[in-house]
Amino acid sequence: MSKVQFSEIPMRTWNWLGVNEAAVDSELLAEARKLDVNIEPDHQENMVVEYRQESYGAVNINVGENASLKLTQLQLLPEDREHANEINIVLEKNARIQLVAVETGSRAFASKVNIVLKGNKSRADVSVLYFGDGDRSLDMNYVLDFQGRKTVGNLEVYGGLMGQSQKIFRGTLDFKQGVKQAKGYEKENVVVLSKGVRNRSVPIMLSGEDDVVGNHAVSSGKISEDKLHYLMSRGLNPVEARKLVLEAAFNPVLELIDDEKLRQEIDSYIKERLENE
Amino acid sequence: MEKLLNIKNLQVSVADGEADGALKEILKGINLEVNKGEIHVVLGPNGSGKSTLMNAIMGHPKYQITDGTMDFEGEDLLELKTFERARRGIFLSFQTPEEIPGITVENMIRTAKQSITGENIKILKFRKELKAAMKELQMDESYAQRYMNVGFSGGEKKRNEILQMLMLQPKLALLDETDSGLDVDAIQIVSNGVKRFHNEDNACLIITHNTRILKQLKVDRVHVLMQGKLVAEGGPELIDKIDKDGFGFLQGAE
Amino acid sequence: MAQEKTYIEDIERTLYDIKNVDKSKYKSQSGLTEDIIRDISARKNDPEWMLEFRLKSLEVYNQLSLPNWGPDLSELNMDEIVTYVQPDAKMTGSWDEVPDDIKETFDRLGIPEAEQTSLAGVGAQYDSEVVYHSIQEDLVKQGVIYTDMETALHEHEEIVRDHFMKLVPPKDHKFAALHGAVWSGGSFVYVPEGVHVEIPLQSYFRLNAAGAGQFEHTLIIVEKNASLHFIEGCSAPKYNVTNLHAGCVELFVNDGARLRYSTIENWSRNMMNLNTKRAVVGKDGIIEWVSGSFGSHVSMLYPCSVLKGENAKCEFTGVTFASKGQNLDTGASVIHCAPHTSANISTRTISKAGGKATYRSAVKVTKNAPYAKCSVNCESLMLDDISRSDTLPTMDIEGDEADIGHEATIGRISDEAIFYLMSRGISEEEARSMIVRGFVEPIAKELPLEYAVEMNNLVNIELEGTMG
Repeated sequence: MSKVQFSEIPMRTWNWLGVNEAAVDSELLAEARKLDVNIEPDHQENMVVEYRQESYGAVNINVGENASLKLTQLQLLPEDREHANEINIVLEKNARIQLVAVETGSRAFASKVNIVLKGNKSRADVSVLYFGDGDRSLDMNYVLDFQGRKTVGNLEVYGGLMGQSQKIFRGTLDFKQGVKQAKGYEKENVVVLSKGVRNRSVPIMLSGEDDVVGNHAVSSGKISEDKLHYLMSRGLNPVEARKLVLEAAFNPVLELIDDEKLRQEIDSYIKERLENE
Repeated sequence: MEKLLNIKNLQVSVADGEADGALKEILKGINLEVNKGEIHVVLGPNGSGKSTLMNAIMGHPKYQITDGTMDFEGEDLLELKTFERARRGIFLSFQTPEEIPGITVENMIRTAKQSITGENIKILKFRKELKAAMKELQMDESYAQRYMNVGFSGGEKKRNEILQMLMLQPKLALLDETDSGLDVDAIQIVSNGVKRFHNEDNACLIITHNTRILKQLKVDRVHVLMQGKLVAEGGPELIDKIDKDGFGFLQGAE
Repeated sequence: MAQEKTYIEDIERTLYDIKNVDKSKYKSQSGLTEDIIRDISARKNDPEWMLEFRLKSLEVYNQLSLPNWGPDLSELNMDEIVTYVQPDAKMTGSWDEVPDDIKETFDRLGIPEAEQTSLAGVGAQYDSEVVYHSIQEDLVKQGVIYTDMETALHEHEEIVRDHFMKLVPPKDHKFAALHGAVWSGGSFVYVPEGVHVEIPLQSYFRLNAAGAGQFEHTLIIVEKNASLHFIEGCSAPKYNVTNLHAGCVELFVNDGARLRYSTIENWSRNMMNLNTKRAVVGKDGIIEWVSGSFGSHVSMLYPCSVLKGENAKCEFTGVTFASKGQNLDTGASVIHCAPHTSANISTRTISKAGGKATYRSAVKVTKNAPYAKCSVNCESLMLDDISRSDTLPTMDIEGDEADIGHEATIGRISDEAIFYLMSRGISEEEARSMIVRGFVEPIAKELPLEYAVEMNNLVNIELEGTMG
């Protein structure tokens, strides 16, 4: 099997950090489940994409003027599988995408998401949940490409890592010259649950325009002892307390999943992992 | 009495956030005269345009004057930039004072005083005055060396506004809800500050929701602003009436 | 010394593991030959081991390719690298030869006449050395060594040999290798155990006195529980006929020691500033970097702190101001290699008139560093819509006991803040410059007064004529 480059960071940095590109087995990309969607102007749509067996999936979407789309993508492959997925979205004037991405499956995956805020006043709200345990490898590369005026882009990422899992999350806010009054926000909160993990974060902000507001923040740490202590003083055992804290940490994403059954599936998946630690 | 501020048929608009280039009219023809030695109060419900009036007098670029005139001591204010208005003797106590990292309170006030007076202010004498004024406002001396409003509580920011007013000694002080967000003791302190500042050579124009700040001030005129128009005017007795009955009885005036 | 070995081993695992070495690309094209290196070495009267070191570095240099990240370096003609390495004779130009814009800058900065003339050459250098020696005599008694690298190489050969390019090995990157091959001049400081050097040492005079070139090497060793503040090249934008600077700074901060390393760089605008600075910090030791980057055409500068001993600390404070024609790629990196190590990185970048400022950083927490703490805060201010400001931090964290936070903002001067200051009688131009000065104040306040004043002046000069 030969490796091929699947995604690349928008601005390269030191090679020793190992974050400049993501490579996957070429076989993985041999066959894609492709989905091309065009949301007509003024329409509102809701889509769910589930990956349970597919090695590679690609979603291409154009959201027309004043249209809006909520896209929920769940990656739930068995843990002996590898996976790659990509999402490419172009937003026309006043269009909106709400993207909810959950990456909880497969032994190794790479995902790339590219959202072009092309039209003025277009808006992207992206919420990501990832969870890694065992010797899983998680690789994500998200880019919000601001091209229109008064565009708004938010990228909120919540992650949990345990076992020997390894994760790279790259999130880029790219403000092109001329995107007056654009606003971008990115945050990643990582809860680290065991010693063996390797957690890499690359929050990138690029700007060729002064009339923008851009913020990013990353925090990584373990669950606060005080919080656990508080819950245990109310009678919860350590595992229960951790589950509760983690559930609370993931809630901002979980509550965006409309399908109750799917939400339950992910929730219990994560809880199971915590119990089997 | 000597006329300070004279506003005639003032109409003010702001850019509409939603539609590009469109304007939204906020003030729809205001007439207001303030003389030396007077204290004026503007009352009105939220969104009636009170802060717009203050910002328009101070020359905020966001607020566009579409019609009317505004004179200060006979000089056309509309021809002057914000800092020039300040140098003529107008002071605005902001509703939400800006945080400016890296500039200390002392540095800020001294720079401002030098700009307004056009004189080099001697540091030792200035410090003494600043210390005295801070003491009066029950501000800890250490605040002089802190960055402007950075990490200040809401009440501390407001006291810092009054401190600047005392130090800069303007002819006309515009107080935009200087008492909001303050506890009873702090209102008392701020109110004392205004009382000490006020004399027959200057004037105050006060916006407030809480009439407590007015208790120990001798108010000359009260104006009620609703939906961009002054709908009622009167003496201090109007304050008590609105305190008791709210603005409801004025609805008919529109 | 056995200890030095562990430095390298520690670091090799984490940092110097360069995988993308293209071993063939530049080999045949390089104009830098063994003969040239031998010639430099002979002129400097190097000991044999140093000649060997240089030759080995040359080999590495020929094997490595240019970095495949960072600013475009194509203006640098690597085929003619030998022209940058030519002898330093041209450095002894007269004050008259210094370009007008640099002279003017000096005048406006109010740098004392004595310092101004010392720029021109050796002759005037003595004026300043009087001051310097009076400090030194006091320190010499306590065993402090402060001399130029060539002298150190002969008088303190063992110490130099044990430390020289151990922290920044030639194979680190192409310009480190180049440095190893052709280095010349620089400062050597040794502070013995327990000695506190109260007055900052300044490299400014040293560099000139030694006729140092653009490949100067700074080696500082602060022994156990000793302390030092070292100021580098501050008010000395050097007159350089060549346009490549590939210096190297190695700082050894031993257990319980403290070193503050302050720099304000204001190179002339034809300079490619590819400088490598690195510190290794022992148990309970502290490295503090204060770094101001104003000059040069292109900069790549990321001081690195290797926190090797338990409870070692790093404080990094930096400001970068990129103006017309400048591409300043600056930042910092921190490697946590021991428990309870902590780092604070705080930077400000400003870009204007088409300048490009990049903040780049790496925070690495190894498995051996439980309870590591690191907080990064970087703020970028853009003064117009033709400039660029990019922020590219990376965090690489192993283990579950690290507490890592990163925050960055990008934006312009708020209209509301301008209005607020104007409402206090301050003109728009003054308001803007006050806000920019306030923006860099966290750095200014870390500098000795005269340098803080100088930095403010630099900011003012940069801002002049651009305010609307």
